[in-house]
Amino acid sequence: MVSVTMKKRISFIFLTSALLLGLLVVRTAWIQFVMGKELQAKAIDSRLRNIDVKAKRGIIYDRNGSPLAISVSADSVYAVPSQVRRSNRIDEIVNALSQVLELDKEEVRDKLNKKVAFQWIKRRVSDEKIKQLKELDLPGINFVEENRRYYPKGKLAAHILGFAGIDNQGLNGIELTYDKELRGVSGKIMIEYDAAGREIPNAMHQYIPPVDGHSLYLTIDETIQYIAERELDQVMKIKQAKRGTIIVLDIKTGDILALANRPVFDPNNFADYDQGTWRNIAISDAYEPGSTFKTITAAGAMEENVVKPTDRFYDPGYIKVGKETVKCWRSYRPHGSQSFVEGVQNSCNPVFVTVGLRQGKDRFYKYLEGFGFGQKTGIELPGEATGILVPKSRAKDIDLATMSIGQANAVTPIQLIRAVAAIANDGWLMKPQLVKEIRDYDGKLLKKIEPEPVRQVISKNTSEELRAILETVVSEGTGKNAYLEGYKVAGKTGTAQKILPGGGYSSNEYIASFIGFAPADHPRIAALVIVDSPQGVYYGGQVAAPVFKNVVLDTLRYLEVPPEITGEAKFMEEKIIVPDVKNKKINIVTKELKSLGLKVQVEGQGDKVIIQLPPAGSQVIKGSTTILYTQDENSDQVVVPDLTGRTIKEASIILSELGLEMAPQGSGLAVIQEPQPGSKVDKGTSVRVKFLSPNEEHHEETIGP
Amino acid sequence: MGFYKKILNKLDYTLIGAVLLILVMSLFILNSATAHLSTSYLKKQIMWIIISIFVLLAFLRLDYSVITKYTRYLYILNIVLLTSVFFLGTEVKGAQSWIVIPGIGSIQPSEFSKLLLIVTFAHYLVHKQGELTTFRDLIPSFIFVAIPLLLILKQPDLGTALVFIAIMVGMLFVAGANPMLLLGIFGGGSLAAIGYVLGHLKFGWWIPLKTYQLNRILVVFDSSIDPRGAGWNVWQSKIAIGSGGLFGKGLGGGTQSMGQFLPEQWTDFVFAVLAEEMGFIGAGLLLIFFFILIYRGLKIAAVSRDLYGSLIATGIVSMYLFHIIENVGMAMGIMPVTGIPLPFVSYGGSSLLTNMIGLGLLLNIYIRRQKIIF
Repeated sequence: MVSVTMKKRISFIFLTSALLLGLLVVRTAWIQFVMGKELQAKAIDSRLRNIDVKAKRGIIYDRNGSPLAISVSADSVYAVPSQVRRSNRIDEIVNALSQVLELDKEEVRDKLNKKVAFQWIKRRVSDEKIKQLKELDLPGINFVEENRRYYPKGKLAAHILGFAGIDNQGLNGIELTYDKELRGVSGKIMIEYDAAGREIPNAMHQYIPPVDGHSLYLTIDETIQYIAERELDQVMKIKQAKRGTIIVLDIKTGDILALANRPVFDPNNFADYDQGTWRNIAISDAYEPGSTFKTITAAGAMEENVVKPTDRFYDPGYIKVGKETVKCWRSYRPHGSQSFVEGVQNSCNPVFVTVGLRQGKDRFYKYLEGFGFGQKTGIELPGEATGILVPKSRAKDIDLATMSIGQANAVTPIQLIRAVAAIANDGWLMKPQLVKEIRDYDGKLLKKIEPEPVRQVISKNTSEELRAILETVVSEGTGKNAYLEGYKVAGKTGTAQKILPGGGYSSNEYIASFIGFAPADHPRIAALVIVDSPQGVYYGGQVAAPVFKNVVLDTLRYLEVPPEITGEAKFMEEKIIVPDVKNKKINIVTKELKSLGLKVQVEGQGDKVIIQLPPAGSQVIKGSTTILYTQDENSDQVVVPDLTGRTIKEASIILSELGLEMAPQGSGLAVIQEPQPGSKVDKGTSVRVKFLSPNEEHHEETIGP
Repeated sequence: MGFYKKILNKLDYTLIGAVLLILVMSLFILNSATAHLSTSYLKKQIMWIIISIFVLLAFLRLDYSVITKYTRYLYILNIVLLTSVFFLGTEVKGAQSWIVIPGIGSIQPSEFSKLLLIVTFAHYLVHKQGELTTFRDLIPSFIFVAIPLLLILKQPDLGTALVFIAIMVGMLFVAGANPMLLLGIFGGGSLAAIGYVLGHLKFGWWIPLKTYQLNRILVVFDSSIDPRGAGWNVWQSKIAIGSGGLFGKGLGGGTQSMGQFLPEQWTDFVFAVLAEEMGFIGAGLLLIFFFILIYRGLKIAAVSRDLYGSLIATGIVSMYLFHIIENVGMAMGIMPVTGIPLPFVSYGGSSLLTNMIGLGLLLNIYIRRQKIIF
């Protein structure tokens, strides 16, 4: 039998076992519940001396697939310091590196003496220098391919794109809001040396390849963006203005076709610019919109039936609101008796104050909120402002009066253009869109972003009525300078005194603006032009309306929106349908076209047709000329085609097919180009083309970058 | 079959149930950890379970006290087996511990050596009753264990050597050795060993360990040591356990183990796979089953009809306990990395067979606790 002492001792072992097993349970719980999250995170920690293999950042394209932001790869140089030291050639290596990479010798030596497994020497080095270093074959000096963000169009659309930092992280603009999609997933190489630089026997080698980032297709149209930037540059220069903004919006979809601000920066060297230039004032800055806001006042009032177009008003040059007086902008020569339509044409303050007061506070705020003022529009860019509205609870009659003429409230440009676009869009307010599609690096469609209607603010009827009135503002009222040949335009001018930082209005600084849409009967695009602090003449009708006109006319022509007003009737002639001759031999094609009764003009010296104009399937009059552009495919050089008489759209297609860039100036049809037709240039060369309207005088002016 | 009928109602079913549940869990985990490689692991392990059950049943027939007649030969057999490794053995992962037998596979003599030590040392201690009070008294016992232990260290197999020490301490304690003396020798010895390692690190004293062996011990104190070797293993193991949470990721859902970040996932680090896939619930259940195993083992030691059976049971429980603490503790970074298997769970025939024979010995002692039976 087992003695009592032994039983005691066995019990003691039992207690010890229970304690130890209990400790294991506690430890398991500790690891699983307390350390769990941290351990997960640390799994990717540098403890294991991994080197990240950066994924290629996705490309940002415009809506037609033209790249706006790309990733270019460059080699970076790094050292494994322990290998360098073991080679006993450290002096030689220091000399070579400092010489080729133009670095300070001591700095290089310090880096190579560090007790680390991995040390960057210089990142993103030119190919030529990499080649030199590779030839030297220095021990412990290695190369790795890294990607750098490059914005091939420079400042174009800078405020939309934003920029990415040295480690390919999105820092501003779309680069920031879509960073997750663009970034991709980094891969890893587990380096085979430990902290001391010793090789470990049977070490695990893992290579996890990176997954490249997704590509974005923006709603921006590069050509329209270019037009907006060009016009903005011109007005900034001529009017010596402080700041400026142009937004062009697709009315039906809410797609932003162009958005430009001044001052601007180059995202390729964003750090060299003042941080103030990074600010996207079109969405981040609220301003008092002034008279452009009267469109909103009118929309609400007409929807609520408090005013009819034929209602009569009398303007004595001012209007009394309680104890206070609101003057008309033309108080020196009052508008006198006028209908509502004439009041809108004249932008007459007493008319809008009357209409606003008739509407009353509740109904007025219903439309303020309905059109989305005081709220973010949800545009996918960082730093959107909400604007500031007079709080409804505190609004008195005088506030209602000033709000009706676009004062007292601060709105962002994007809010304003969205609201006016809703007026044009049968009353439907849309979410402003910037991204159309997300595709993976193989081009597979991942997500298509559909237009997003928010709500219908006014009825279709009111929309149509107001469109007709706003059209007369341009045809007969303050907006005459926005009149477009061939198109009906609706719009509204605005001239607002700037608010001083300490409160009150500035006596000599103004914000000139014009907002409108076209064609008035079947609206396609809306545009807003804001010029902050122009020198000299400062009226919106004088400063902003002509800019609006240039932008919208070029855009409509580029979009091939057919003119509504035709000057002369065409008589019937025999029509021929142009056959498809693309990629065919030039001599065969020439015969074919001539037999159909078409004249043929050949551009270039290749033997294959690259582009044909007019395109296949078009109907043309017998005897008209077909132009065939050819190219020698094996050459990096192309012959510059003759673009005379081409529209901006045609010219841009021809040049891009040939691999050339276009720098357009003016609007209308091409008249002058540089380099001259027939000259041989490298692919990628920019061709400056000057366009003129057919009925415009030929006068010299310099525009554009 | 008459014998088995007779013992049917005398078996310790709590103990058997606990072991069966552990075996079931082990098969699920083994399947999950190896299914993406090959099904042969699972098949082999099932085959070993069946073989070892038959071996266990065979062992039940023989009264354990018969062993006492042969302990002298068994001790010599132990020495021969351990020596044979140096002539017939194959080196695996730096240790000469395996003997390849054509047709059967490879066996690991040091596994069986633990059982041989227990049955021979128990007999030795029976004769030393009341003579274990002074240091001088203990010296012959130390020599008895030291001979096979040194042979195992020579392989080198530090883990099994430590198991030997655990078995020795447990059996000496129950055999009546002076507890203060035991504490003094082994507590002091551990402190001296730690002091020596520190001396090695600080002053560069000579140490009979290779760098990788030393790192496996040091990793307990700082897991950033040896990040590509032992540190890597422990680190990945902790990540696996930590990511398991309460319910685990489900069988086959372990990203750490499936991604093959975790080395030795079906042998030494099997606990990490289990904790990742079955979560705290699974790990807790396994530890509870082990607790039952230990509890019943000690119960058997207490109810044994004689001192010999009691000491054998103590030795087997000490062996199980040290394996569990060391293996699970290593996976969680609180014990050195020594690579000894988790009883009944780790993949491997020698280990399973050894543990099942151990279980057989426990049952053997249990069914003969009342002298009268046969």
